[in-house]
Amino acid sequence: MDTVNSVRLLGAAALSLLLAQGAQAQETLKLGLSVPLSGAAATWGLGMEWAAEQAVERVNAEGGVTANGKTYMFDVVAYDNKYSATEGARNAQTMLNRDGVKFIAGAIGTAPVRAMQALTERNGVILFSTAWGKSVKGPEYPYTFTQMNTPFEILEPFYTFIKKQHPDLATAVLISPNDATGQELEPVAVETWKGLGVEMLASDWYERGTTEFQPIATKIASLNPDLVDFSAAPPTDVGSILKELDVLGWDGVKVMSAGTSVDALTAVAGEAAEGAYLGASADFDSETATDVQRELNANARKALGEPLNGITISSYDAIMALRAAILAADSVDPTKVKDVLPSVRFESSYGPSGFGGEAVYGYPQQMLIPVIVTQVENGKAVELTRNNPAELEALLND
Amino acid sequence: MLNRSSGVWICVALAIGAVLFALLATNPYYTSLVVWILTNAVLASALRFVLQIGELNIATAAFFGIGAYTAAITAVLFGWPFWLTLVLAPLVAATLSALFGWVTLRAKGPYFLLISFAVTEVIRLIYTQTNAIGGNSGLVGMFPPMAIDAYYPALAVALLAATLFALYGVERSDLGRMFMAIKNNDAIPRSVGLNVVFLKVLCVVIAAAAVGLAGGLHAYANNVIAPADFTYFVAILALAYVKIGGEGHPFGPVLGAAVLTLVGQWVAGISAWENIFYGAVIVATVLAFPGGLVGLATRARSLVIRSGQ
Amino acid sequence: MELFVQLLANTLQIGSVYVLFALGLTLIFGVMKIINFAHGAFYTAAALIVTSVVPFATATLGLPLWAGYLLAAIAAIAVVLCLGALVYSLGFQYVLKDLNGSFILSIGLLLVLNGAYLAIYGGAPRSVPQILPGTISIFGATLTAQRLALVIVAAIVTGGLYLLIERTRLGLALRAVAQDQEAAMLQGMPYRRVALYGFMIGAGLAACAGVLMAPINAVTPVSGDEFLIKAFIIIIIGGLGSVAGAIVGGLFIAVVESVGGYFFDPSTATLAMFILVIVFLLVRPQGILGNAE
Repeated sequence: MDTVNSVRLLGAAALSLLLAQGAQAQETLKLGLSVPLSGAAATWGLGMEWAAEQAVERVNAEGGVTANGKTYMFDVVAYDNKYSATEGARNAQTMLNRDGVKFIAGAIGTAPVRAMQALTERNGVILFSTAWGKSVKGPEYPYTFTQMNTPFEILEPFYTFIKKQHPDLATAVLISPNDATGQELEPVAVETWKGLGVEMLASDWYERGTTEFQPIATKIASLNPDLVDFSAAPPTDVGSILKELDVLGWDGVKVMSAGTSVDALTAVAGEAAEGAYLGASADFDSETATDVQRELNANARKALGEPLNGITISSYDAIMALRAAILAADSVDPTKVKDVLPSVRFESSYGPSGFGGEAVYGYPQQMLIPVIVTQVENGKAVELTRNNPAELEALLND
Repeated sequence: MLNRSSGVWICVALAIGAVLFALLATNPYYTSLVVWILTNAVLASALRFVLQIGELNIATAAFFGIGAYTAAITAVLFGWPFWLTLVLAPLVAATLSALFGWVTLRAKGPYFLLISFAVTEVIRLIYTQTNAIGGNSGLVGMFPPMAIDAYYPALAVALLAATLFALYGVERSDLGRMFMAIKNNDAIPRSVGLNVVFLKVLCVVIAAAAVGLAGGLHAYANNVIAPADFTYFVAILALAYVKIGGEGHPFGPVLGAAVLTLVGQWVAGISAWENIFYGAVIVATVLAFPGGLVGLATRARSLVIRSGQ
Repeated sequence: MELFVQLLANTLQIGSVYVLFALGLTLIFGVMKIINFAHGAFYTAAALIVTSVVPFATATLGLPLWAGYLLAAIAAIAVVLCLGALVYSLGFQYVLKDLNGSFILSIGLLLVLNGAYLAIYGGAPRSVPQILPGTISIFGATLTAQRLALVIVAAIVTGGLYLLIERTRLGLALRAVAQDQEAAMLQGMPYRRVALYGFMIGAGLAACAGVLMAPINAVTPVSGDEFLIKAFIIIIIGGLGSVAGAIVGGLFIAVVESVGGYFFDPSTATLAMFILVIVFLLVRPQGILGNAE
């Protein structure tokens, strides 16, 4: 039975080694990421990790961040949350109590984020997340901040814009993936379309990991709606459905509310993707993008083989917000930092930004960034309109 | 191997040590680590328990989930008291497993394995499509009562360790011997008048009760549960613990769970290399030590004894 | 009528990939009595290789697209066969007929291979240009030329495999080993070599599926795994180890997906598939064409 003890010892030795690494560099502030690094969503995790590293490099190159007379350098540690609550909770436990992380600069996935909140809120650790649910926000979660637009920011301006472009729109079909994001978006989407006078012919679900989309395409084609909304479906799935729809001769308005990557969409659908509207894909190569975004995007193509999107770039913005908040609070105590975050002004990759959303969520914890509507033209995302939330507009005019 | 009674006493000492550690350690990371190891140990031991009758029950993952969901639903949606929810978790898991076993245990070997796999997926899909229990986002807010919150890890460790001893006790009893007899050949036990189907169902039910309790404790330890926590992969990892620790000895799954959980934590934070490393450890151990780590220890000991003589 | 033909066309398109994938899995089970959880990794490897060889062949070597694709297909299948031989000789040959041991070995392997694919190729979806553009209309049902080609090639490969199993000495050896390994060894069959061939044919079938699907679907490091669960259902329904069963099972699941996805929704069809398989197994535990053990 000695094996047990030696295994424990070995484990303890390994852990203390890791802890010692943290202790040596006292002036380092560890920023945690809890993202999928394996499985189908790994591309988001890897992209977010890369964007975070770029932000950290930039902050450190500019001399780090100084608070209370001490200068700190940032460092990024990414943990695989496998998109599950169990792993999210373990990530949080490991980050908070083993690796001494006080700031989580990015977390992807509603279930893991909710599991992390149980620890981060109680222990006073700041958590930035991309989670879309309203359930992760509110005055009872003052340490939680959202680093990208969610359906509550996107859908209203996005759908209104599309309806203006196509005044004759009367019928729609909604296709959602059966996951947390899809379940959160679906009711909001149905309501919003109804509010615009569009009749929902069907709202169907499919399982993540589906490989063959002919059945659903056949169904859509026979219902023949004016518009198909692919809600939270990932670009490759949408691409497959669009391709089948094209074969079947359906040609209507294509809408991807959570459409992130145009490259992935056109890689699968080719010309069938032409004309599709995307709600969450900024074209970071375009003239309307900022210099920072263009540079990040060019490097991302080289490093990752794909451009950044609204999800992956968000860790960059979160880190910029954290730097500004630490400077404003003149402290690295997360409790003080969280108090200044709602009112802090910082330079995001999109330009000047801050936090808002009190009217929707009851607490100003939503990062204010423009809602950008793009359309696929000749295989590229072309920006059609950029809609600053009223709070961001007020902040810019300040 | 050590003679049986001293081995048991060492394990009792280890268990008491683990409970005391969970009670006294100040860093919640380390107390959580002990809870994770023991939860995995119960999953692995329950899987091995059903392997006694020769079946690989992937639905172990489903009963873990049923225990967790039972505790979460009764606690969060119905507001029932903590202790009652913890009693219900294994009871509901055991009841449903009796139904499952009664219907499916006429299949054997790979067929039973694949049915249990399909059942696990069906149950997970049902969670995702039921809005009343949170759909894909799952349920949130299972907290132990304030009075025992600080002692919860120690309580969980104590209950999980007790579960491990209970499984061991059954294995060493006459009932355990009957299970073994079924594995070897179910015609013989049948010929002496044993009700083989009843015994098989009983074996599955006992194991399901164990993981059901572990599931309930997991729900409170994690505060949040979601369908993606209870995929067939939970059972597959449990099988990895069994294989790496050693299938032949009741302590094998516990050792395997401890080693792989620690390895998993050791590689946590090294980004995408995590999975390559974890997978390589599994491949290497399965190939290098077919009897698992306990098998290795037994072999090493017999070598030492032989050379000493 | 038109709808009926379209649903039939959908079934054939979906079913042909499933059949190719499931055939390999069932063959490996039949010969080695193992469940290979890493089977999807062979599919993924082939598809990923196609996505990197095609651009290389067309841009750097200046080959026309069809020739580049052909070259990529040969390269992909060759690499996967080597990979299959490697995993067999380093790993699986030590766990023959050990259901649980081989299961765990294949899981470990899956983690390593998927991690390696992610490290080499990144997570971004990759694609190759369509080899056969255009659509074809048959009795009111429309499908792409690419898909039609896939159905035809899959049918030829399946037919070829059937002939191999039924008409050749290797096929006889595979069947003999699958039925009763000890008796086959007593007859002088070199079991380990037969198992190696069986394993490599299985890997090759997965590679064929990967090669055929690469121009149709985006390729990611987990593409192959998404077929795995359905392939499991198919081989249970068909009967583990039965080649004809994999074909029947594959088409049956394709009907459920095609019809269920049309009249209800794909999510419901997936759930129905699992429930059907449970009910099915309870009525006929050995599958449609399996032998009762």
